[in-house]
Amino acid sequence: MLGGVCGGLARRLGVETGSVRLLALVSVLLLGAGVPLYIALWVGVTRRGESESIWHRTSTDKREKEILFVVTIAAITLLIALQTLGLHALGVFLWLMTLSALGALVMWRGCSDSERDHLREILSAVIAKSSAGSDKWQSVALRTGGGVIMALWGMSLLSRVGNESGAALYVLVGAGALVAGLFILFAPWWIRTIRDLSFERRARVRAQDRADMAAHVHDSVMQTLSLIQRAANDPNEVTRLARLQERDLRSWLANPEAFGTSSSAPTTLRQSALAIEREVEDNYGVGVDVVVVGDCALDDAVTALVAAGREATVNAAKWSGASNISLYIEAEPSEVSMFIRDQGHGFDPDEVPSDRQGIRRSIHERMTRHGGSAVIRSSLDSGTEVELRLPVPSRAR
Amino acid sequence: MSTLSKPRVFLVDDHALIRAGIRAELSHDVEIVGEADEVTAAIEMIIERTPDVVLLDVHMPDGGGLAVIQGVGAHDASVKFLALSVSDAAEDVIAIVRAGARGYVTKNIEGPELVEAILRTAAGDAVFSRRLAGFVLDAFITSGDQPASRPSLDPELDQLTTREIEVLRLIARGYTYKEIALQLDIANKTVESHVSAVLRKLQLSNRYQLTNWATERRLL
Repeated sequence: MLGGVCGGLARRLGVETGSVRLLALVSVLLLGAGVPLYIALWVGVTRRGESESIWHRTSTDKREKEILFVVTIAAITLLIALQTLGLHALGVFLWLMTLSALGALVMWRGCSDSERDHLREILSAVIAKSSAGSDKWQSVALRTGGGVIMALWGMSLLSRVGNESGAALYVLVGAGALVAGLFILFAPWWIRTIRDLSFERRARVRAQDRADMAAHVHDSVMQTLSLIQRAANDPNEVTRLARLQERDLRSWLANPEAFGTSSSAPTTLRQSALAIEREVEDNYGVGVDVVVVGDCALDDAVTALVAAGREATVNAAKWSGASNISLYIEAEPSEVSMFIRDQGHGFDPDEVPSDRQGIRRSIHERMTRHGGSAVIRSSLDSGTEVELRLPVPSRAR
Repeated sequence: MSTLSKPRVFLVDDHALIRAGIRAELSHDVEIVGEADEVTAAIEMIIERTPDVVLLDVHMPDGGGLAVIQGVGAHDASVKFLALSVSDAAEDVIAIVRAGARGYVTKNIEGPELVEAILRTAAGDAVFSRRLAGFVLDAFITSGDQPASRPSLDPELDQLTTREIEVLRLIARGYTYKEIALQLDIANKTVESHVSAVLRKLQLSNRYQLTNWATERRLL
């Protein structure tokens, strides 16, 4: 995993890699005795595919030898100094760690290029680098140094417990310092892992969205397109299909969550206007262009207004010959009004056939029954406009 | 531009099919000086060719129509834009008009209407479709007591006059400018100046409904 020592040992001894790893882990946990052993093997044994071991490389280079010598002397001096300052209980552990650190130094100086790349990877993966390549070495050194000092101080405080009074305080401060040190050391790695995770989750959500989109496009647009191809000889049918699809997509874009749930009865003025649009476009092949300003709930009077408006729209679709009908609805605090306008051939209101007279009455009467009014304006050259007005009795809106 | 010559029009749309269709519909009535299918090329060519009117698709990769208006506007504020889109989503309409477009029409507009809209844009007037008129009414009057998101320097920007509301209502009902002039017994030019005034308010007002449109209202 790290230096491949366990794997090599297992191959040499003819046992499974896993059990060697387990053994190594146990030895590390036993006061860290496994760490220097591991490093010693790493340094001392020749790597597969290479001609000489790290130790061999280091010990044959005069300059490397000098460096190693100086550092060792400095480390031992420091250790002795620390021990006289009262870190007795840590003695064995500290010696082992120092030995390991020296081993690591040898390893770093003496390893081959390919192994160094490997080491660098491990280092940047584990410790003290928040994002790949973006950190300056100063900040890495500062963090690592700070973390190590905090952790060592915490351990030294903990090691005094039992010899002195006020132990609880030492435990608290020591544990706190230890945790803080470890946190400083490992936080960047931890943060990066979390960031990677959330990035992954976002990517998954995006993929999910894409899949939903693709499914919708397939279900609706593709189907419509194939229907249009089949109906290519019938322009009315093509227009109808295109309108249907346009409306469908528009409502999906406006509110993807609620899409498909809107088949229930409309509960607001705006929804009923869209229902009229749907019905007339589907049944009469005439475009209905709806503009709604404001909105209000449907009560009896507003429902009557909508019914009258629907009647007028259907009339326009059936008789005017226009390909488009404008439907404008405005809900004001004091009045709800509705305008249905077509630019087809109008009619002379005095010469309407009797059956349309009846429809006109149904519009008029409906409106007056609820205190509203209906006005129909029509001329032969500019089409027809039906104006419906319904005063809103003073109520809280 | 002299009133006799055809307006010089530039097309920006990432769909070749739409460009071809528009070109075919317009070629008799306007002079098409170029077309582009993406934002960067569009900005360069528009600055170079100084068309009277840019017919601009709202939805394109790399920022869409908005990016084109902003990119050209930084060099040459005199170019007039008429936005063209299949979408009527309120946030698109409001965003593109507030960025400086003189108007907004949908792609299913009929040829003659589109020509009229281009001529009107070239003359410096505003082009309000029924739906855009509806949006403005919705934003300015239905929630009349909503505060502005920031205090306005000019409170008049946040209010429509009675006449402006009348004109907008008639547009929303499907009336042409000529019919509106007839109905209100005012001159054609007066109708146009009312609509231009509304456009200015739409672009400059700090009304909460306009600045927060996208979050406020996602319907129709």
